[in-house]
Amino acid sequence: MPSEHLDELRVLLGADGVLESRAARFTYEADALALEKHLPDAIVLPRTTDEVAAVVRWARARGLPIVPRGAGTGLAGGATAEHGGLVLSVNRMDRILSVDDERMFAWVQPGVVNLELSRRLAERGLYYAPDPASQQVSTVGGNVATNAGGPHCLKYGVTLNHVLGVVAVLHDGAVVSLGGAAPDAPDFDLATIVIGSEGTLAIVTEICVRLLPRPQAVKTILFDFARVEQACRAVSTTIAAGIIPAAMEIMDQHTVAVVEAWLHLGLPLDAGAVLLIEVDGPAAGLERLAERVVGLAQAEGARSVRVARDDAERAAIWKGRKSAFGAYGRAASGFYIMDGVVPRTRLAEALAGVSRLCDERGLKSGNVFHAGDGNLHPHVLFDADDPRQQAAALEASHEILRMCIRMGGTISGEHGVGIEKRPMMRELFAPEDLAVMERTRAAFDPERRLNPGKILPGVDDGVRGPAQLGGMHGGGSAEGPWI
Amino acid sequence: MSATLGLDAARAVDPARYALGGLAPRWALKPSSVAEVVEALRAASRDRLRVLPWGGGTRLGRAAPTGAYDVALDLGALDRIVEYEPEDFTLTAQCGATLRSLRAALAARGQELPLESPHHTRATLGGTLAVNGSGPRRLRFGSPADRLLGARFVLGDGTVARSGGKVVKNVAGLAVHRLLCGSRGRLAVILEASLKLAPGPEKRVTLLFGASAAQLAERQRWSALPRLEPSYLTVLGAAAARALPEARLPEAPFVVAMGLEDDAEWVAEQEARVIEALGAPAARREGDDSLSISQALADAQTGDGPILAFTSAHKTPAALAPILRRAGAEGLVSHAAAGRLHWFLDEGDDPTALVRELRAAGYVLIDRGRVNLEPPVAPEVAILDLRERLRVALDPSATLAAVEG
Repeated sequence: MPSEHLDELRVLLGADGVLESRAARFTYEADALALEKHLPDAIVLPRTTDEVAAVVRWARARGLPIVPRGAGTGLAGGATAEHGGLVLSVNRMDRILSVDDERMFAWVQPGVVNLELSRRLAERGLYYAPDPASQQVSTVGGNVATNAGGPHCLKYGVTLNHVLGVVAVLHDGAVVSLGGAAPDAPDFDLATIVIGSEGTLAIVTEICVRLLPRPQAVKTILFDFARVEQACRAVSTTIAAGIIPAAMEIMDQHTVAVVEAWLHLGLPLDAGAVLLIEVDGPAAGLERLAERVVGLAQAEGARSVRVARDDAERAAIWKGRKSAFGAYGRAASGFYIMDGVVPRTRLAEALAGVSRLCDERGLKSGNVFHAGDGNLHPHVLFDADDPRQQAAALEASHEILRMCIRMGGTISGEHGVGIEKRPMMRELFAPEDLAVMERTRAAFDPERRLNPGKILPGVDDGVRGPAQLGGMHGGGSAEGPWI
Repeated sequence: MSATLGLDAARAVDPARYALGGLAPRWALKPSSVAEVVEALRAASRDRLRVLPWGGGTRLGRAAPTGAYDVALDLGALDRIVEYEPEDFTLTAQCGATLRSLRAALAARGQELPLESPHHTRATLGGTLAVNGSGPRRLRFGSPADRLLGARFVLGDGTVARSGGKVVKNVAGLAVHRLLCGSRGRLAVILEASLKLAPGPEKRVTLLFGASAAQLAERQRWSALPRLEPSYLTVLGAAAARALPEARLPEAPFVVAMGLEDDAEWVAEQEARVIEALGAPAARREGDDSLSISQALADAQTGDGPILAFTSAHKTPAALAPILRRAGAEGLVSHAAAGRLHWFLDEGDDPTALVRELRAAGYVLIDRGRVNLEPPVAPEVAILDLRERLRVALDPSATLAAVEG
């Protein structure tokens, strides 16, 4: 980037608000989709809505793209500067602007870390419900961009259901308030389409989040089953009985094995699957609810029932679940992870399909997933040094997502489309559907400079096809990517 | 140009039934299939006719559309349930299905439609979404966009498209379906919508209390309630309360209806705490009787004059204090836990002072009820521009008519 441009940006943001060294640009060349690397021209670190607006106007005058970025934990390449330009990091926009205890909402900047928000609200007895597995590092702004989920969105809903409104900067630098603490703003619901738009419609600079009182009581129960199909059926029958637990998570035998080999939590290695069910809410009635859940699981063949006796045991059970991704990183030199969704009644069928598609190609796979939502995270393992195996794994991944589509599901439940799943949008949607989305985007961003190229397949993606579906290389670190 | 826009003559219906503000459309059509809706819109777009989509007609009010009103397109015949998967808690239905018919289908499986509207016998799925409708139980159900998983829709030129899907978790693609919530048909006509359903509660209880203005205004009276989880907390002026299906109403200027819908034990505990805070209720109803009261609260309307609708971030009736002694307060309906307030005017009333006072109290006017009243805060120009760009992007030939909210 020409030095006069950098100087102009420094006038807007201060000397420490602009990064342009080679090292800094490499730091921001990719998000957690490490296979897609693109160097930004510079990184800007605004502190306020006005500074974001100033940067947007500046970039517009110079025809540069802007890619907003939270913590960079996204798994779909959504925060990667594929077409160069500026990466706008919200890391310095990390203030909680106001909290209204009585009416239970808060205004926060997008760089506030998800878990930090709940920590800071704890003394008021309140919390922010969406809990993506990345919540220790991911930002509320990044969560808004991807409409992030998490294990507890089964009962509490995804980010969309916890954001009352946003302040956003539009393509031309105009600042608008969409929605807010008062619900049901008149006219088209602009805030709800900005949520989950991966930074392609506007840059969100302030967020009004709904807060909830901490549940009075929690029960975390771990079941083990001889076969994963039984665990899936236990999920279906529980939901069908009208019980919506706070979370329902399944790890299959392979996943339990890699987690146990790493963390030694005492998970049953001979189980075909373990099912984690958490129920929470008012203490009144919770015991009875837990008993019903246990009864339904036992009727489907649960071999053992372990109820967490205290917070420490509860944390240990959750640690096993949340470390699955890191454990896979230790178990194979490379793996692809998918984020497909199927109707929850078809989980068992979908898992059988995953096994078959991988077995046919001589590949190992593992499953750890948000069972209650039908949101699968199959991991297809491969030897990163064997291009043929990698190609086979890529093909299997693609076929797994195709299967999700055929079963009436979708290609992403919570990670987003970004670059990674863009070519598959043509398989999920008809050309007319994509054209309407493109027209909608163009109305927000006529010059296509806000996170350009993301989500919607462009003219040249068709030929690249699914080969662009990304993957992860193993690293064995719990600090790495998250699901 | 044909009066039936290429459809069978049998689809023509009496335009007089679709008159708004004394103005009847030139034609009215009731297509019997999605293909016919598409055909009619293509023809209208080609012939530069303006089409107003009709659901149950419950929220179109009494004013004529702005601009021409050539065709009323009655979608009431598209009333099928396309897919109901009880074990998945998802439903896909056509736009013309009434809320009552959908509720009946779900009740058989102990499930609930998470949408509310006045006049549920006529209000349709598509119409309720298009007006971003909600009711007393908004706290429990969230907004329509919170529940809408995906939709199939048709643009003014007859292009059929969809966004979202039918599964409960989905972030693939731009959520155009959510944009349609509140669009009042100006961006596209919703053909089919998929919803995330709610399990029916184990127990429903409605408690009715009489209250004076002073009692409503006491903040500490309500302070225990935010940590409870009522499904609704609605305040009605004595005149509005007469619409409730209750033979003996409390003798008081206001009636408070508190709904508890949950696990039976939790309902019992909450009921005890509510009674501790508010005293014994004047009446208590359970089960279907309680459900009838919640629909009556959604329907509650005082007189036939214009209705002003307000929203706020407030969660308790105490926020209403500044207006409880105004003339007309006897007719108010406030779904207080959801921040909503409906004020009913007589023809010729000037609500300027009322709106000003409510604004000072944190209430935003969201429906002017077609009263000639300047919005208290002009919408931001950038938002108006953006809305207009969206309208032009999706309906460039301006085939879809606008009726102001």
